[in-house]
Amino acid sequence: MRLAGRSICRGVVEGDLVLLDSPFSFLGGVEPSSGRLTSTSGAAGTSISGKIFGFPRGRGSTVGSYTMLQMKREGTLPLAIINERAETIVATGAVMAGLPMVDSIDMSLLKNGDRLKVNADTGEIEVDAVKESEVVTCVLMHEGKLLALKRSMKVSTNQGMWAGVSGYIEPGAGPIDTAIKEIKEEVAIEHPRLIRSAPMYSIRTGDRLWRIHPFLFESPTDEVTIDWEHTEYRWIEPQEAESMLIVPGFVHVLKALL
Amino acid sequence: MFLTKEEEQMLAGERGLGHQRAMELLAALGKIYDADRLIPITSAHLSGVSYKTIGDGGSDFLMEMARDSKVCVPTTLNPAGMDLQRWRDMGVSSSFAEKQKAIIDSYGKLGVETNCTCTPYFTGNAPKQGDAVAWAESSALSYVNSVLNARTNREGGPGALAAAIIGKTPRYGLHLDENRAPTVIIEAAVEDEITAYSLLGHAVGLKVGAAIPYFKNIRPDCNGLKTMAAAMAAAGSVAKFHVEGVTPGWQSQELKGLEKISIGSKELAAAKDALTSGREPDLIALGCPHLSQMEMKMLASMLDGKQRNRDAPEVWFCTSRVVKTWCPKETAVLERFGKVVCDTCMIVAPIEANHKCTATNSAKACTYLPGLCSQKVVCDSYPVLLEMIL
Repeated sequence: MRLAGRSICRGVVEGDLVLLDSPFSFLGGVEPSSGRLTSTSGAAGTSISGKIFGFPRGRGSTVGSYTMLQMKREGTLPLAIINERAETIVATGAVMAGLPMVDSIDMSLLKNGDRLKVNADTGEIEVDAVKESEVVTCVLMHEGKLLALKRSMKVSTNQGMWAGVSGYIEPGAGPIDTAIKEIKEEVAIEHPRLIRSAPMYSIRTGDRLWRIHPFLFESPTDEVTIDWEHTEYRWIEPQEAESMLIVPGFVHVLKALL
Repeated sequence: MFLTKEEEQMLAGERGLGHQRAMELLAALGKIYDADRLIPITSAHLSGVSYKTIGDGGSDFLMEMARDSKVCVPTTLNPAGMDLQRWRDMGVSSSFAEKQKAIIDSYGKLGVETNCTCTPYFTGNAPKQGDAVAWAESSALSYVNSVLNARTNREGGPGALAAAIIGKTPRYGLHLDENRAPTVIIEAAVEDEITAYSLLGHAVGLKVGAAIPYFKNIRPDCNGLKTMAAAMAAAGSVAKFHVEGVTPGWQSQELKGLEKISIGSKELAAAKDALTSGREPDLIALGCPHLSQMEMKMLASMLDGKQRNRDAPEVWFCTSRVVKTWCPKETAVLERFGKVVCDTCMIVAPIEANHKCTATNSAKACTYLPGLCSQKVVCDSYPVLLEMIL
């Protein structure tokens, strides 16, 4: 998996990720002598020394920049910092301490303990253990109702869960061509009319990163013939989806499309 | 952010490590705030001076920067952790003093003027109207934006140092016309007295946070303005304000449709109560921000010819060394009642070693003393505080 962010302070490192899910203040959040997080961080006792340290954004007193310099002096700095959105205090401390830093990263795609390569010169992050799959998800609409399909036990992922028409984008194929091909194969509907597409959406499940291209089509018919990939189909009201067992990311896809 | 060829070269390290670090920091800040380019500045003012705040890590950093770089615009310095000459009188330990002096030495090597004060605009570093500058110290930068109508963002100490070394700052925020207009109207009904202005600033800062207030019905002088600026920045993060009939350009501000907030004696009394946490001060500290020449004269005239009560608590009159040299007679009067302390103040000095409860008339000091100096606080006006020592 490769994530493109923005370089805040340069440097190239590789290491294990310590990830916090709330904003962090270096002043009071870490003990400079040991590099261990304090109770205010929500992960008391965890060492960030020699790790790649990820948190959504910095907060708190400007003295935090100097806390980072104190960590440099004590030799307890992390290897690099990753933020969703950089702010002045942490960015200032990172530059002063010469600590590689990247921001504009979707932190929900990272997991505590991930082994990361951080290229803070270009702003790129790589996680070798996580494989990327680019897929389409097509929502078919007919007279205001949406087509939900229950995935069979023969498919490789998300068995038994409800979804739209979906499929892997093969190398060389485009998302829209894949969408039309999959609709024909999976539900045997010809000439669906594209209403709109939404920006690519990324979601991670375990060691897999899904790059989802969402499409909304108008179906000329409500007659559906499913293939081996599904066991059941239903035309549902849009709001019904949330109460069904649906595949990860499907709520987001619906919101983006409707 | 666009960088010129020369700026790119600095970023690549062609002018040495100090310039490279400084340019990296400006570039990072420019990215964070979506600046389009760097613009030249005419002066800088730096915070991050007291050893108590920046520690050994900060000291190392300054020493490293001083090795191969210098500021290229007039640059002044915030208060340090002690009076650089009379630190022993203040009860400062010699190990603290040594470390503090090393920090001042590094700033000196960087070409920074080492008169340590939070009111440099009273003693020679006064930007002209319309100047772009890079100032840290929340009270001073608000004064510069509001009273002098020069332009600065809320810089941190390192960002201001980087700007001083490069002579430029990223163009965003308060450097742009559209971000300098009032966003809320304050209809004030308060006494024309310095502590009232301080409490007014406190109440407004708490209410409006990061807004740009437009005050009606007040006529503060420069001392009232400085204490208001300080209190608003400490309680909220106000970096610019307008005062009708007082601050430059007030006539041309658009007020239509702005929210109005009324603040009067009731709100001030509540602010004072909320700031007060102690009863018997063992230190009375005046001069946050640093006492001006006018205030030194006023305090001296209030005390001249009177006797100090032998049981009175210790008193500090905090000011800049320049103002002290301007006020030899006043200093002589004040020294009979306490210490005229230069280069430092009650917030950045390690007063917690010798004091438990501090009295002051500054809402800013009252805001920071509990957290930064572990003090109980008494908040009152000059006359009431001076009465405690007579």
